[in-house]
Amino acid sequence: MEKDKEDFMPKILAFLCNWCSYAGADLAGTSRIKYPPSVLPIRVMCSSRVDPLFVIKAYLSGADGVLIAGCHPGDCHYEKGNYYARRRFVMLKKIIEEIGLEPERLRLSWISASEGNRYAKTVTEFTEKIKKIGENSTKNRIFL
Amino acid sequence: MSKNEEKKLRKKAAILSAKNGIREGIIDFLKKSMDRNIFDAVLIPMRVPADDSFTYVLIRDKNLLKNAFPLPPVMSIQGGKAVSSITRLGKSNIKIAAVMRPCEIRATIELTKLGQTNLENITLIGIDCPGVLPLSDFLNNPEEGMRLFDDAVSRWDDRIMRPVCQMCDKSSMIVGDLHIGFLDAEKDSFFIISNSQKGSDVIDKLSITPQADISSWQTKVEKISEKKHKKREETFRELKSKIDGLDNLLDTFSQCISCHNCMKVCPVCYCRLCYFDSDKVKHPPEDYLERAKTLGSIRFLPDTLLFQIGRMIHMSLSCVSCGSCEDACPMSIPVAQIFSMVADETQSMFNYVSGRNLEEPLPLTTYKEDELHEMEDTHG
Repeated sequence: MEKDKEDFMPKILAFLCNWCSYAGADLAGTSRIKYPPSVLPIRVMCSSRVDPLFVIKAYLSGADGVLIAGCHPGDCHYEKGNYYARRRFVMLKKIIEEIGLEPERLRLSWISASEGNRYAKTVTEFTEKIKKIGENSTKNRIFL
Repeated sequence: MSKNEEKKLRKKAAILSAKNGIREGIIDFLKKSMDRNIFDAVLIPMRVPADDSFTYVLIRDKNLLKNAFPLPPVMSIQGGKAVSSITRLGKSNIKIAAVMRPCEIRATIELTKLGQTNLENITLIGIDCPGVLPLSDFLNNPEEGMRLFDDAVSRWDDRIMRPVCQMCDKSSMIVGDLHIGFLDAEKDSFFIISNSQKGSDVIDKLSITPQADISSWQTKVEKISEKKHKKREETFRELKSKIDGLDNLLDTFSQCISCHNCMKVCPVCYCRLCYFDSDKVKHPPEDYLERAKTLGSIRFLPDTLLFQIGRMIHMSLSCVSCGSCEDACPMSIPVAQIFSMVADETQSMFNYVSGRNLEEPLPLTTYKEDELHEMEDTHG
């Protein structure tokens, strides 16, 4: 069992904004920075494009973690998209917490296009954390 | 509106006579207002012909007002929906008074912020709410239900009311243009409290002098709200232990028959086509086969939990805890209590109370640059 946990590589769905975080992830790649192969990136035009439903859908479909990443506050390509995204994220997290699901599987981060290191660090940290929590239990519930 | 002005308006409470009971008194007040052309029509609950339920009617003929029932024992239609039907495409071309319970007015205010009602020619008249009976209880025996309700109202006893009503700490919240208070009034009179310019205009036009001191009413309201607030906390504590975590949630919601009644009766679920009724959630059959393969089996209809959490995402910030969803659930899932609990939490995050006033913007339509940093870059 213990060994299983060590071998477990989480599946993290990452919604990355087109202008900052996706470019940041790209930079991490082109700079050959090492980070765990746990992330499945989905490029969105803005972090505010992420409907909280996407996140729930991912969670209930067995994603071990969901990362939403966008431009730093004040740097949004659309000026204020990330502020709205933050409010939605906070609401979603509160709901998840209130009904006793696992808010720790959700993360919001600001990663700019020049922060390849930060992207790698975020992914590494998040992956480690989720490794500790273990697999998403929705994976073996059939009455969802 | 400044604090002082607000206070001045609030103070204007007029005493009206209710010699033949509160109901007659309210009808008389509405009739007088129609006589003086303050209103052209009144939106108010009325008994249905079979005598076994109540619904909203828009009364234009003042002679029909005598059949009105300002405080029905059940909430079969949420008043917010009625106002929205009349004004969703723009302002009403006649002046309408809408007599509703505070939660219905709050729903109307939320709908206004969502662009689904136009209040320009609408005067919202709230009323002290003793709660309502569960719809199914009442339908089992309407006559007995009516008797029990009247009896409970006379003692202001909420034990037979719906669970959400028992824990409603906003049952006398002044949210409309006018508020009818009868909690503390002498048996043969009631208060009418104005809460806006529109409201005081009505009182002025009726040439009744607002002279009543409402402080003892306020004290009583506070006492009741406090008691109900305690009950609310207690209920939520119990409820939380029942639904907490994935397995408990599934125990609670797996009876769901996907009828979506809760969404259809919800006053703030205004979308013409709900996402969960749309083709977006009708996946290609192969998807289901694939899911069955990965999971070992799949339930049909699937995604009940997704629907419930999805609805929380869509409407919890505007939820007014009116309880319509629970009345409509054929499987007796305590939806309204669960949603109220979640709504209290999400709304308080933004210091928001749904329907409290028209000025406060919906939390997701606004933001502050410097806020909520504790939620960034953390997990857990």
